[in-house]
Amino acid sequence: MKLLTHNMLTSHVKGVVKGYPLVIKATEVKVNELEFNAQFVSRMIPKLEWSALIQAAEWLGQSQDLPSTLIPNYENDEEFLRKVHRILLEVEVIEGCLQCPESGREFPISKGVPNMLLDEGE
Amino acid sequence: MMMRHLYCTAGAGMEELLAEEVQHKLYASQVEQIPGRVFFCCNADLYTVTQLKSAERLFLLLRKTEPISLPKNPAKAAAVIKERVVGAPAIWKQAFLTWTALQDELQSSQQRGHKRRREEDEEESLTVADESTHTLTSSTHLLKTSNEMDESRQHTPSFRVSCRCSGVIARSYTSQRLSRTIGMAIKEHLGWKVDLREPVLEVNVYLSDDHCVVGIPLLKHPLASRSYMKHNGLRSTIAWAMTSLCPKQLNDCVILDPMCGVGAVLLEAAQEYSNAVFLGMDTETSQLQKAAENLKASGMEGRVQLLRSSAMEIPLADGAVDVVLCDVPFGRKFSCSSDMPTALPHLLKEMERVIRVGGHLVLLLSLQLSAQLKKIICTHKHNQHLNSSDTNSVHTDPSNTRSESTDKPKTLTFQKSSSEAANTPLLISSLQAQRTHKVSLGSTDAFIHTYTKIQTQNTTLALK
Repeated sequence: MKLLTHNMLTSHVKGVVKGYPLVIKATEVKVNELEFNAQFVSRMIPKLEWSALIQAAEWLGQSQDLPSTLIPNYENDEEFLRKVHRILLEVEVIEGCLQCPESGREFPISKGVPNMLLDEGE
Repeated sequence: MMMRHLYCTAGAGMEELLAEEVQHKLYASQVEQIPGRVFFCCNADLYTVTQLKSAERLFLLLRKTEPISLPKNPAKAAAVIKERVVGAPAIWKQAFLTWTALQDELQSSQQRGHKRRREEDEEESLTVADESTHTLTSSTHLLKTSNEMDESRQHTPSFRVSCRCSGVIARSYTSQRLSRTIGMAIKEHLGWKVDLREPVLEVNVYLSDDHCVVGIPLLKHPLASRSYMKHNGLRSTIAWAMTSLCPKQLNDCVILDPMCGVGAVLLEAAQEYSNAVFLGMDTETSQLQKAAENLKASGMEGRVQLLRSSAMEIPLADGAVDVVLCDVPFGRKFSCSSDMPTALPHLLKEMERVIRVGGHLVLLLSLQLSAQLKKIICTHKHNQHLNSSDTNSVHTDPSNTRSESTDKPKTLTFQKSSSEAANTPLLISSLQAQRTHKVSLGSTDAFIHTYTKIQTQNTTLALK
């Protein structure tokens, strides 16, 4: 699971009001190099929950001193975009789980794929 | 580069998309579509032509004429075939030369390190590469190198005819019989040898009430059988068509397939758009595993994110995605507790929820489910006007939803009908129909529906 995916995932357990962001408990993390595309990264940034991304990167020890609030004019800051590229697309949680911050329900991550299936009635 | 007259076969409903694709990607001219075939003229390199996504098979056009009518008398029919279908030997000889040159071009483009479709042992590849560099320079060179090769094979290739016919001709003659007659005529006329098992050339003839087409396939494998699919799901051309019919280009978008299966739809989309985020969800681990293998084989690993989740409970916030693409499975059981007709309203509601206003929904549905879809999604122009008195309008009569004339706006929120009828438990008014496109899935037909999510009074008031 990439942090890009994590940034979009919410807990959908019944009754949960704000199941976001899911807490990452990783037991295996991998960094897979991927071709850097500055334009793509800078166009994705407005779609992200920035604070959740930084939080996630911190959980994995990958925050690389990225600021907790988004900097202005990041479009032209290649160093910044490269760091975002790394945490967004290259860092991957292989094993572990995601936890709903409200209900405490855990969603296992196995072989890089989070299992967000709920049980019946959940 | 030389202008070539080519054509492709296409599944029913795909001709229009193929015609657009050849113009768009190959800058083709003289594009003409007939049912099941699209003719065009282009000078794009052949490798690019083989990357067409909506075509089934690729042919070199040898002849396209007015339809022929065949006398019932077999001897007279053979004479007509000889004159009208086969015709002058010069055309065939030229076509064979062009075909040979195109084969060499294909092989050399494979040598240049593009996707290799077939593995050849290295020694053989080297000699082929040597020859093709010569043959590509000019046609005189082609003749020279050809002479050095097996001369008899070059001038009198072995061949087989496969004829398809329909309409009036089909009533008097079978395709098999016509194939034989045409084969005999070519053999007599050109001295080529018939070889039903492993011919050098295949000659395709299509005779209908409207057309007479003769062509030679350029590839052994259909373009539609993608080398990168390890596990086949939805027919690749249809999967591609879903992306192609989306009202908006997908660059910079977040795209979700909530029932991705082996990933056919997302794979075709990801190949077309490199600057986009693709999410694939499925409830089955086995499907997700196959999807992962397909992604790996196609080099799209890392471009499509997979997660295990139900399409009925998508773990994404409202308005989180720009586009939902979904081949809604029909026939087989959807989940342990409900079948698709029962689940469809809820499923649509959930997909609609995660699409942002201005985003798009592209669905592939059976004819039966398509009819049901129209009852669930009912957008009226009146709805778009904000009118506070509409907020609580509730329709308890399911028949109301079918009536196109009703002026009462439908609300977006869930509306459990008073009856237990599973077919119309809720209505969706924020999806505006854009286009409906009929396609053939082989044994059955289906519709691709495209919608745009619009701002309604309820999208702001009623969500959560």
